[in-house]
Amino acid sequence: MNKVSNSNVKSKLYGMIVAAAILGGCASTPPPNDLVLVAEAAVSDAAAAGASELAPAELKTAQQKLADAKKARDEKDQKKAKLLAEQAIADAKLAEKQARSVKAEKAAAALQEDLRILREELNRK
Amino acid sequence: MKKRNLSLLLVSAALMAACGTPQPNTMLDEARTEYQRLQTSTQAATVAPLEFKAATDALNRAESAWKDKEDTEEVNQLAYLAKRSVSVAELSAKQKAAEQIIANASTERDRVRLEARTAEADRAKLQAQQAEQQTQQAQQQTSAAQQEAAILQQQAQTAQQQAEEAKAKMAEMEKQLQTLQAKKTERGTVVTLGDVVFDTGKATLRSGSRRTLEKLANALKQNPNSKIMIEGFTDSVGSDESNQSLSERRAEAVKNALVDLGVNDANVTTRGYGEGYPVANNKTAAGRQMNRRVEIIISNDQNEVAPRTEQNGSASE
Repeated sequence: MNKVSNSNVKSKLYGMIVAAAILGGCASTPPPNDLVLVAEAAVSDAAAAGASELAPAELKTAQQKLADAKKARDEKDQKKAKLLAEQAIADAKLAEKQARSVKAEKAAAALQEDLRILREELNRK
Repeated sequence: MKKRNLSLLLVSAALMAACGTPQPNTMLDEARTEYQRLQTSTQAATVAPLEFKAATDALNRAESAWKDKEDTEEVNQLAYLAKRSVSVAELSAKQKAAEQIIANASTERDRVRLEARTAEADRAKLQAQQAEQQTQQAQQQTSAAQQEAAILQQQAQTAQQQAEEAKAKMAEMEKQLQTLQAKKTERGTVVTLGDVVFDTGKATLRSGSRRTLEKLANALKQNPNSKIMIEGFTDSVGSDESNQSLSERRAEAVKNALVDLGVNDANVTTRGYGEGYPVANNKTAAGRQMNRRVEIIISNDQNEVAPRTEQNGSASE
């Protein structure tokens, strides 16, 4: 079920802290390789939240950035890897949020429809 | 001299570039616009405060970097991350709004159900009340009908009792009249008083007749509602007028005697028939004595005794 097979609770927490720091405009961020791992986790979380169905464009963007970040890391371009990984993390978080938000809105719409039908039924009596 | 001025000018221009307003940055402009939209068009500040703060901080960081004239690449990166942060805040606001609806929907559904149940309960209660009223009305009607029936039954019983009492009285009277040799005819029961009860040729009653009259009076008082006709007769000796008069006075005398003994005079009628309706032959003394009589007729029912005619006249036939 958990796509990142080697991620345990500690690294998940680490990933969350890093992502929050990135989205919160925190100045100092971890080394590039750590960032790539965090980005991988973030993309996996987004997929788990249903982003492939509910936020496909946003997820694709994140996945692309992640791939580019890995490439830069492998090419020893530390600066580029860092920049791309940070972006991937932010994109993945956006994709995840989009998926959750759409889910909630769909559920709300369904409930409102149920309520409307219920009202109709009761008024018919 | 001019060369020095020109280089001075260049240096100052370079200095100006270094110390004055920073270069405009497109990414940062976009981030600013999006943040402004977040502030004015959404409820993110109130419903998603944490995400809103993160977006604010991210933009501020980008602004600082830009003001401090840091690397364009650095400013772009921070501006990009700020944009993403703003989007996340926007989506959080939407999510919270949806979650509010979800939470309310449950309460709302319960409320709608409760309303409907209450309305149903009220309807059921009203129906029950109406049914109760109808039952009560029906019961009242039944009760009234029962009361009526009871009254009618009582009336019937009373009527029956009265009829039985009347019958008993009649029977008692008949029984007592039998001791006076009463005879039943179609006009009623007839008791005949012979000539012997009167003084000769007069309408006065002899003292010896007292017991007979008492017996008769007692019998009549057993049935106070019966109607009585007293008819007087004479023999053919003497004039028609004097016989008529005598027969009438004799009938009256019997009536008065009975009334004195307690019989109700309203029920008693008298008549004289003179020489008429003889019951024996006037040529013999015995026959003439038989004709000199008073007949007391007691009606069979509550009605007046029927008048005497040729058909119903004789008591001794």
